[in-house]
Amino acid sequence: MPVAASAIYFLNLRGDVLINRLYRDDVGGNMVDAFRTHIMHTKELGTCPVRQIGNCSFFYMRISNVYIVIVVSSNANVACAFKFVVEAVALFKSYFGGAFDEDAIRNNFVLIYELLDEIMDFGYPQNLSPEILKLYITQEGTRSPFSSKSSEKPVPNATLQVTGAVGWRREGLLYKKNEVFLDIVESVNLLMSSKGSVLRCDVTGKILMKCFLSGMPDLKLGLNDKIGLEKESQIKSRPNKSGKTIELDDVTFHQCVNLTRFNSEKTVSFVPPDGEFELMKYRITEGVNFPFRVLPTIKELGRTRMEVNVKVKSVFGAKMIALGVIIKIPVPKQTAKANFQVTAGRAKYDSSIDCLVWKIRKFPGQTEPTMSAEVELISTMGEKKTWTKPPIQMEFQVPMFTASGLRVRFLKVWEKSGYKTVDWVRYITKGGSYEVRC
Amino acid sequence: MAPNPPPFSQKSQSPSQPSGKSEVTDLKLQLRGLAGSRAPGSDDKKRDMFKRVLSYMTVGIDVSTLFSEMVMCSATSDVVLKKMCYLYVGNYAKSNPDLSLLTINFLQRDCKDVDPMIRGLALRCLCSLRVEGLLEYLVGPLRAGLIDDNGYVRMVAALGVLKLYNISSATCIDGDFPAMLKNLMLNDPDAQVVANCLLSLQEIWNLEAAVSEDASMEIEALLSKKVVYYLLNRIKEFSEWAQCLVLDLVSKYTPSDNNDIFDIMNLLEDRLQHANSAVVLATIKVFLHMTLSMTDVHQQVYERIKAPLLTLVSTGSPELSYAVLSHLHILVMRAPMLFSSDYKYFYCQYNQPSYVKKLKLEMLTAIANDSNTYEIVTELCEYAANVDVPIARESIRAVGKIALQLYDVNAIVDRLLQFLEMEKDHVTAETLVLVKDLLRKYPQWSHDCIAVVGNISTKNIQEPKAKASLIWMLGEYSQDMLDAPYVLESLIENWDDEHSPEVRLHLLTAVMKCFFKRPPETQKALGAALYAGLADSHQDVHDRALFYYRLLQYDASKAESVVNPPKKAVSVFTDTQSSEIKDRIFDEFNSLSVIYQKPSYMFTDKEHRGMLEFSEELGNLSLGAETTDDVVADSQIYDASDNDLLLSTSEKEESKAPLSGGSAYSAPNYDNASSSLIATDTQPESHLGLPTYNPQSNLAIDDLLGLGLFVAPSPPPLKLSPKPALDPASFQKKWAKLAVSLSKECSIDPKGVATLSTPQALPRHMQDHSIQCIASGGQHPNLKFFFIAQKADSPSFYLVECLVNTSSAKTQLKIKADDNGNSEAFLSLFLFALSKFGQSL
Repeated sequence: MPVAASAIYFLNLRGDVLINRLYRDDVGGNMVDAFRTHIMHTKELGTCPVRQIGNCSFFYMRISNVYIVIVVSSNANVACAFKFVVEAVALFKSYFGGAFDEDAIRNNFVLIYELLDEIMDFGYPQNLSPEILKLYITQEGTRSPFSSKSSEKPVPNATLQVTGAVGWRREGLLYKKNEVFLDIVESVNLLMSSKGSVLRCDVTGKILMKCFLSGMPDLKLGLNDKIGLEKESQIKSRPNKSGKTIELDDVTFHQCVNLTRFNSEKTVSFVPPDGEFELMKYRITEGVNFPFRVLPTIKELGRTRMEVNVKVKSVFGAKMIALGVIIKIPVPKQTAKANFQVTAGRAKYDSSIDCLVWKIRKFPGQTEPTMSAEVELISTMGEKKTWTKPPIQMEFQVPMFTASGLRVRFLKVWEKSGYKTVDWVRYITKGGSYEVRC
Repeated sequence: MAPNPPPFSQKSQSPSQPSGKSEVTDLKLQLRGLAGSRAPGSDDKKRDMFKRVLSYMTVGIDVSTLFSEMVMCSATSDVVLKKMCYLYVGNYAKSNPDLSLLTINFLQRDCKDVDPMIRGLALRCLCSLRVEGLLEYLVGPLRAGLIDDNGYVRMVAALGVLKLYNISSATCIDGDFPAMLKNLMLNDPDAQVVANCLLSLQEIWNLEAAVSEDASMEIEALLSKKVVYYLLNRIKEFSEWAQCLVLDLVSKYTPSDNNDIFDIMNLLEDRLQHANSAVVLATIKVFLHMTLSMTDVHQQVYERIKAPLLTLVSTGSPELSYAVLSHLHILVMRAPMLFSSDYKYFYCQYNQPSYVKKLKLEMLTAIANDSNTYEIVTELCEYAANVDVPIARESIRAVGKIALQLYDVNAIVDRLLQFLEMEKDHVTAETLVLVKDLLRKYPQWSHDCIAVVGNISTKNIQEPKAKASLIWMLGEYSQDMLDAPYVLESLIENWDDEHSPEVRLHLLTAVMKCFFKRPPETQKALGAALYAGLADSHQDVHDRALFYYRLLQYDASKAESVVNPPKKAVSVFTDTQSSEIKDRIFDEFNSLSVIYQKPSYMFTDKEHRGMLEFSEELGNLSLGAETTDDVVADSQIYDASDNDLLLSTSEKEESKAPLSGGSAYSAPNYDNASSSLIATDTQPESHLGLPTYNPQSNLAIDDLLGLGLFVAPSPPPLKLSPKPALDPASFQKKWAKLAVSLSKECSIDPKGVATLSTPQALPRHMQDHSIQCIASGGQHPNLKFFFIAQKADSPSFYLVECLVNTSSAKTQLKIKADDNGNSEAFLSLFLFALSKFGQSL
């Protein structure tokens, strides 16, 4: 049995109901109270997102300042339920235009009711595809002053289109200028030991697309991944061109991608939905170029002083510039103050997170700025307890760089009317969980 | 908090709160004014009004008084208004069944609208009213909806049938709706309609299976090759959620041969690449279950699904990745070898929530082998210093478990000893417990460990488990620890400050052990300990002290052989979960069972819920909690005896003795019962009291225990009313209210157990004894029954919860009674009736 949700609740952080929808009679009305008293107001909160109270199971998820709670009474499919919530939130966001929080819910509650009616019936997920929902939803999100015009009536025979083979795209779209935007967004996860050896390093990437194309276009995407290239050279009986190839550990695709064709020919071909969507996700562990190396030396000088020296090396091309680099170096709780010397950016001590925070707005490739700090500690009474250092954490964005080396080789658009398209490809690498132990 | 719009500013906790009353009256007037208005722009005004009503509804203010005004206003062609009105009606119809009759008219009219969307919406609203009195108005539109030429309407109607079934199963079945659904499922061009038909059919037949035999045939029909292949061939048309549904169905399908299996797997392989994690997990379930019988392929499946699972774990929200990780966890536990090279994926990130970390730690523990132990243990040691205390503990435990698995013990013992030097209380506590376990498995390390452990001051250790471990070591290795007797002595001096009975028990045993090794130094302490133990208020502590005291009095050398026998090193620590349970969880892959790590019958009891209509669970919270505890209790007993290996072997035997005694004393009980059976069988009415039987059996028990002190006054013969009258709701109330008056464990006749293949046999049998079954449920081997009985000519009821384990032929009874005085008599009556079960056949 998939989800079979008995009820779904949207609560704020105090536990007030923002929206609720009861789908089945098999749970009582005081579910919210149960959630409040047994989960929200206890230490249980956050210890596990699935909890059983009485005969019901509660799945909850916090999204900004809202809790979304699904109550089920059967042995439900948890992954499906959470995925549903995630997708539903994405859907709401697309209607509100960005933020999903308490205010957005309060301002759009009629819309949410309407959406909930369509995306879930009797506790079973129905259709969450934004394209199809557009046909049913009469309310508009209050997103910006520009779209405050009164809601349009849907086309009377709109329902007929639900069932087409391409459920995610409407027919008859027309754009003056046909454009495709493709972003490869990678996030690098690194765990480095205090001795400088890499314990774990991988990249999770996604390809985001924005399509403004007329008609029913067929798109074909070529990447420099190993299997795809090999397959291609096999088919065309042409030797593989030299150049770096990437081995993808695993790929998942948006439902528009023809998976059969991917499995047989290893090409990514699809009829895209209109607007923004996530085409694919992938994971790579081999041959990752992590963009920064962090070399910390932390010396404890007696009981009340510490010396922290951190050197950060950027190992990507000299022409590229990383943006928004933040390095957080943990210090003990009893830190009083810190004096800094930096060769780039700015550093300060943030007592709320017990870290020295070093920010560098623009960080060119092949450079190695340093920061040295003298940290003064308040001498503590009683016996000295050893300080266990959390890892140094780092955030950054490197445009036009992919840690995996993945590149788009081609993006072909084919439509029967044969129009020309403009395509824009961007790359960006972000810091995921980038941790260096010290 | 951002400034809220005015309607929300009042915090309303309960719907009955009077707040907002004046606003509601105000709304009522305004709505009335608008009701008949056809003026241009009135729709816009109505929209605003409706929005306000809905916003009140959302915050919990009761706006049901506006019902008639809302209905009057809804005579409109405006879709937006209609939708809001449907929402309102759906919310309040149940509490106002009379008023909802008003809506029928316009809903029925809307069901015939030209716009398919309005038809669909109206039908959905009509089906969601959940008012039994309105059923007759529902059947017609629903039937029409199922053959509507628009997919949207059919889709709504397909689920509408399920809703109808939930209101009145008879109307649904008699109306032949399932057959229509089946037809629709196999022929409809719209995939979502097909999916909803499948949903409804599955749920209807599963619920129906309890009462009708046709249902199981229908379920089989759904699982037939024809249907499964039909759905599989259309799988790409389905939405991702419907795909999950189809895949779930396929996972229950039994393929005819291996070709069948490979066909299905080839067809579904690309689903592993789907972006929706639910689809991927559902596919994995199909693969795993299909290949169970083919070991090689099963292993290949593991290899194939590894990458997609790891991807799902590393992307998405923490909650989602927790759900996936739990599934990965169960796979890792089943085949740790296959994952041993992927250990790096299970390293914890600093910011991950602890529920994710905990699972990862368990997996790291499971996959440790000769090749990766060093890396894994090094990583785990990093976590031991973690700020998150539970995780730090968990990782120390993990290190210990790996050591117990025999890998690289040497290095690990060093590491553990280093933990002791970290001087963090929780680390020390956790490590002590582990060192103790290690010593029991590898006594050869005692020398190194004792040297370090000896330096730990007992003052720094507060946790009972850790303290008990330290005390155990003091007793066990008192010959190697110079100051052991003195440490024990000082602990005994503070006997009264020691709150945990566990620690006191260990203290007694340790001081005994120490006494036999170093008598002169310990004698004083032993005396003090026995004295304190005898005066202890805790029964077990008192008993053990008394036992030791008598043992010493009888023969000191015998006592030594009991308390301090030569011990064998423990070779294997028992697993906490039986393989049977693990298999069951695996069968229920991709469901809550995996998250809770227990099979579904332990936390949902659908059947019994169906009969008792446990709708207000929360009122019954205690009941729900109790039932799960009961079921788990069994395994916990074993856990306890297995885990409590601190007890020396002889002590274990000692603790087992009363257990076997227990089964021994229940045996004569039954002999008595069956012998008296012959006598009573000849009597016309079986609900006659059994005064002769009861005291006898009591005596038998007492004699066996050698206590001969207590002779129960023979209870007055108890007569039961042949027709106890108590409806399920008041049963529930009573059950929640009353305390357990008696509980009892006994075995039942194996012949009776055999007839339990149809669980209804027991209730039928008990009914002959004027004991009525009010609810039953559970799955083999754990069945559960609730019985009631009523004292003749009296309002006093007896409520019985009866758990039957068919594999061990044991039952656990819990009796609650209005009048506790007679519950003993009732128990014997009940036992008598139970003992006859299976013999009268």
